[in-house]
Amino acid sequence: MSKRKTVEPDITKVKLTRKEFKRQWVLILIAALYIIYGIVFYYLPLVGWIMAFENYKLKDGVFGSKFVGLDKFKFLFKDKDFIRVIRNTVCMGVINLAVTTVTAIGFAILLNEVRNKWFKKSIQTISYLPHFLSMIIVCGIVHDSLSSTGIINELLLKFNILEQPYNFFAHKGWFWPIVAFTNVWKETGWNAIIYLATITSIDPALYEAASIDGAGRWQKIKYVTLPGLRSTIMILLIMNIGNVLNAGFEIQYLLTNGLIQEVTETIDIYILKFAISKMDYSLGTAAGIFKTLVAMVLIVGSNAIAKATGDERLF
Amino acid sequence: MKKKIISCVMATALTVSAFAACSGSEGGGDETTVEVTTRQAAQTDASGNQSYSEDEVLEMRMFACMAGTEINDGNEIQELIAERTGVKVKETWLTGQTASEAIGSIIASGDLPDFIDGGDGCVQLYENGLLVAWDPYLEEYPNLKEMYSDAEWEMFRQDDGKIYWANVFNNTYGKSKATGHNDEAFWIQVRVLEEAGYPEVKTLDQYFDLIEAYVDNHPQMDNGTKTIGYTALCYDWYYYCIENPGEFLAGYPNDGSVIVNLDNPDDPTIEDYNTSEITKNYLKKLNEVYNAGYMDIDFATQTRDEYIQKLSSGCVLGMCDQNWNFAGDIAGPLHEQGLDELGCEYVPLGLMADGVTQQQWHVYGDTLNNSSGCAVTTSCEDPQAAFQFLSDILEQDIHDLRFWGIEGVDYLVDEDGLYYRTPEMRENWKDETYKANHCCFYAYMPQWGGTSRDGINAMQPGEQGSEYRAGLSTPMANLLVAYGANGLPDLIGSVEGVAQGPWYPMWSYSNEMGGRNDTAGCVAWGKMGDCKHIWIPQVVMSKDFDATWEEYMAAYAECNPQDFLDEMQTELDARIAMAEAAES
Repeated sequence: MSKRKTVEPDITKVKLTRKEFKRQWVLILIAALYIIYGIVFYYLPLVGWIMAFENYKLKDGVFGSKFVGLDKFKFLFKDKDFIRVIRNTVCMGVINLAVTTVTAIGFAILLNEVRNKWFKKSIQTISYLPHFLSMIIVCGIVHDSLSSTGIINELLLKFNILEQPYNFFAHKGWFWPIVAFTNVWKETGWNAIIYLATITSIDPALYEAASIDGAGRWQKIKYVTLPGLRSTIMILLIMNIGNVLNAGFEIQYLLTNGLIQEVTETIDIYILKFAISKMDYSLGTAAGIFKTLVAMVLIVGSNAIAKATGDERLF
Repeated sequence: MKKKIISCVMATALTVSAFAACSGSEGGGDETTVEVTTRQAAQTDASGNQSYSEDEVLEMRMFACMAGTEINDGNEIQELIAERTGVKVKETWLTGQTASEAIGSIIASGDLPDFIDGGDGCVQLYENGLLVAWDPYLEEYPNLKEMYSDAEWEMFRQDDGKIYWANVFNNTYGKSKATGHNDEAFWIQVRVLEEAGYPEVKTLDQYFDLIEAYVDNHPQMDNGTKTIGYTALCYDWYYYCIENPGEFLAGYPNDGSVIVNLDNPDDPTIEDYNTSEITKNYLKKLNEVYNAGYMDIDFATQTRDEYIQKLSSGCVLGMCDQNWNFAGDIAGPLHEQGLDELGCEYVPLGLMADGVTQQQWHVYGDTLNNSSGCAVTTSCEDPQAAFQFLSDILEQDIHDLRFWGIEGVDYLVDEDGLYYRTPEMRENWKDETYKANHCCFYAYMPQWGGTSRDGINAMQPGEQGSEYRAGLSTPMANLLVAYGANGLPDLIGSVEGVAQGPWYPMWSYSNEMGGRNDTAGCVAWGKMGDCKHIWIPQVVMSKDFDATWEEYMAAYAECNPQDFLDEMQTELDARIAMAEAAES
């Protein structure tokens, strides 16, 4: 490191010469590790996609199984259940995204308005604790509170709103709201952290200026805080839109039952059902490929929209 | 330079840990291997019995695709068996997952135990080449060979002509001693019959009249728990509880997924009971009971655990279920709370639909289930030792250890050689903690029912008439006297002397179809299952039964049930042809 040049060359134009390599080999080594990691864990497994085009049998292996072309995809799109499963996944995904984003922003703003520092900190800590609970515990709590002898039914009976206990899990209409509520309960505090951090980075001078202009609290939120959050919201939204099809596996799997499976089954559960329970790995892979493609379209699409509206974007 | 070295070290550490994570799973299967070669050195004691010291004992693993209770480490009888056979098997059971998911994940992960009872997934295990064939070992170990006749072993052969598993249940040694009803029935609590003066119950109407009257008289238990008239389990594959009474009520035996119609004895035909008038009437009755408020409002959404918990609290008066699904799990809890003495135990009733004259809820004789059983996997390091073990545990003395316990501690022998237990010993065997520390049934490994090799005792204490009667609670004993029954088979009153056809039971084939997706019939069977899960509870809970029933039937027809029925018919014909070929 002794012979450092006085003028650094433009980094984008540096050619990888031997000398450069020698100078930067540590960095290159570290970068290479991540590239290898990426190839091994993200790209090599894609070879398995071949399974979707053959009638895969474990003992014949990926390269020995019979090739069937697009049969598995045909089965998928002829299967009414699969169409239903896509509907469930998209609907639950969108509902979750909308509800968790709005509540997180709302919560962050409300928390930001709290003047008492001690109170603010303790609320923040308490609110993000559920994030660390495992989903199986959360679902256990939700399931028990909503059961016919659970706290919700007890209260409804006590206040004479109901005469008979009500079985929330026996009615299709309740399931999506229950899932959304569970997500909100678990993640609001956690998701609010990033918005809170953004709010603190807004220039206090803006608030002062607003005050001088006669803005009240509400107007400061409307004209300073929210616009300040805009780019963060956009970035998070774009990132999360790619996740819409990951609407969930655990909550739905843990809270479902045979009766309401029409509205509870997500793509992931469908894959589990066919690939693992019925040993049709090919069909599972086909469904997985479909899911990946849709996610890519969604993320590129939303990024393009952000670009068009001149907002912050991902790439 | 120092910085460079540090970053190098860190980079290497990262790489190593990344690759270690990859290869970690491969090493996992080897945990159980203990020095195999040292086993030959076992000591032979004076009586010719081998005994193994602690460090010679081979540890193996077993997974059974059923809910079960793990026994504690250092379990006394397990240690004794290990000392005698040189093998200790750590059993694990199904938890949290459904059976087919569990087997699917085991196959996908490649992390197999040494022994496995894959339930309906046995065929999948075989098709993926994960099981060890029994054939060479059957000749070597007469104890194993003895389990089935040659014709029966034929039934276990897979399409490569080899045997990969043996079902361990429903296998009678010598004379049958059955005292219980280990099949399906409409069950009712003893106290309900007692209060009604032990009436004869033959129809669904009578059954529910009794239950409704009892709920009206006793809306709560003494401890304040609300009485539930009737519940039905709809969870996962246990939905047979609500789904298949239609078959039994029509007087047919448990072919499970279909009825085999024998109207023309030369041409048995497959029939679907889901759409039958009897099933419709049965569901209509449930609908009335539900709407009148006598049925559990959570019945459609409960898990099996919740269901067992409910039954264990003694508050459920009746349900339809297979005995093996609940009886073992609730006996202990009922006894611990003293509920058995209050008449909260269940007895089976042989109900029939109008116009049906005889029923076959109880099937006499053994039912051969060739679709599942105990198997040794290719992950087992020492299959020889594994089969040796399966054979050893069928030796009478070890069999007695498993099911009767230790002589002098768990049972006594009278001068005629008859085993018996003192009340204290019986108490012990109802105590879950005692059982976890002391008893080791190896319940999903080869075993016998029927008469012991001494010709006096029963292979399993539950079948020992004297023991069975001595162990009864007072209300149960009174009930049997009142009905003049010796045991539960007498009570249920199924027709005797009806030989089941060589195809029986057809469910062994439909269960297997549930694990595949490669024929139209399998696809239809999967869809029909989903459809029934969705609709049967809705039909029962409907405010307008007829309209919902019509919707159900329309949805059911969309699943193409005929594809499934056709494949069942093909299998039925194949089984008949196979039996005829074996005879000639």
